[in-house]
Amino acid sequence: MTTIKIWKHFPREDLYECYQCARCTGSCPAMQVAPAIGPRGAILKCLNLGHDEVVEDEKIWLCCTCNVCEDRCPQKIPISDLLVALRNSAARRGNIPSRLGVAIELLAKTGRSMIVHQLDEMRAHHGLAPLPPAPVEEVRKILKKTGLEEVVEI
Amino acid sequence: MKYALFLGCAIPIKYPGFEAATRLVCDRLGIELVDLPFSCCPPPTSMKLVHYDSWLALAARNLCLAEEAGLDLLTLCSGCVNTLKEANLILKQSEAKKRKVNKILEEHHHHFKGTIEVTHILDVLYQDTVVDKMIKEQVREVPLRVGCHYGCHYFRPPKVMYPEELSAAESYVPVKMDHLLSIIGVEPTEFSRKFLCCGSPLGANADQDAGYAITKQKLAYIHERNIQAISVICPSCFEQFDMGQIVLARKNKEKEKIPTFYLTQLVGLALGLTSKEVGLDVHRVKSKKLLESVGIA
Repeated sequence: MTTIKIWKHFPREDLYECYQCARCTGSCPAMQVAPAIGPRGAILKCLNLGHDEVVEDEKIWLCCTCNVCEDRCPQKIPISDLLVALRNSAARRGNIPSRLGVAIELLAKTGRSMIVHQLDEMRAHHGLAPLPPAPVEEVRKILKKTGLEEVVEI
Repeated sequence: MKYALFLGCAIPIKYPGFEAATRLVCDRLGIELVDLPFSCCPPPTSMKLVHYDSWLALAARNLCLAEEAGLDLLTLCSGCVNTLKEANLILKQSEAKKRKVNKILEEHHHHFKGTIEVTHILDVLYQDTVVDKMIKEQVREVPLRVGCHYGCHYFRPPKVMYPEELSAAESYVPVKMDHLLSIIGVEPTEFSRKFLCCGSPLGANADQDAGYAITKQKLAYIHERNIQAISVICPSCFEQFDMGQIVLARKNKEKEKIPTFYLTQLVGLALGLTSKEVGLDVHRVKSKKLLESVGIA
């Protein structure tokens, strides 16, 4: 599996700005309902264990991506950038939830991230014309060039 | 007033009623919409997490189409606005990223220049000239106690989404939906956790039960304030409340459900459109009785 240099996407020295006040984790909706790592935990683990340890953990995906952690951080650490970089790295190691993998494949195959049967009928019910097909070939070529295949087969 | 309409995926495919309502409302308010061959935005809650470079390149392609048409881009979904606004900002700021993306798009004759802005239907309707027109065109009030739910990605992170609204001391909290709806007779009602996540991305990516647990908490606060209806500006938030209440009712035997409206559906009702015309007939939680109780058929 290929890896990405996650510190290209998030300034590593920012980890040291964190004084573990846990305002982020106290605000985190995912922490309240699931056994998530949480933003404070993710930062601490990156410091103490290294990010390799964190990206192997499937709990990294228990996150709403709501950015409230970053919003409330008194140190203004770009936490959402860190969480995006960590998950990019996780996905390259095959740590990616199956639902999400399927969604990405659908996007690459259809140019859209959603599909329903009888779409034309549904749209006609609301007085709308059929949805023109997405530019699938162009999308697929772009995604091949950007290297999406490092993560999912397209 | 003319925009390139970015429909995204969820609205034209899952909730075409929102699209119908939006097109009718914009037509009535003199906002011209142009359709272009866009793809998925792609979402800040899926592609961006999995493969950042693919996310940025695909977003750049969508931005290029609007640039080529010389139009600002109007989005209807919090996810789409988040991706396209952020990608637009990143590519305008970083010469290196722009160069990299343009090299990929070159083959398809696109070249990102950074000449347009990305906006959301709520911000478009909130403009003075549009509000004036809305007041003129309004035929009835929609006197309901409504909880406005903005969804995270519409405004967060504020440094990307609404940098001009930020003060050094506090973070930005949106108010436009509350203000706009009060013009059409709605009584906007505050509720706890109004500005937190609906639960959708957690459910979609990792754990559906956990996602709905967040929605359940939120609904409890909404009930607590005797809110009669929820207004949203994002199809993911909509699904979480509309379908979510059906799913949660199966588990919890909860009978009372609160209808959810997409913003332009409520505006459409005020402009005299029927509930069928704005697509309310296909919502899982029905609004017929509630609307009839305030004289709207």
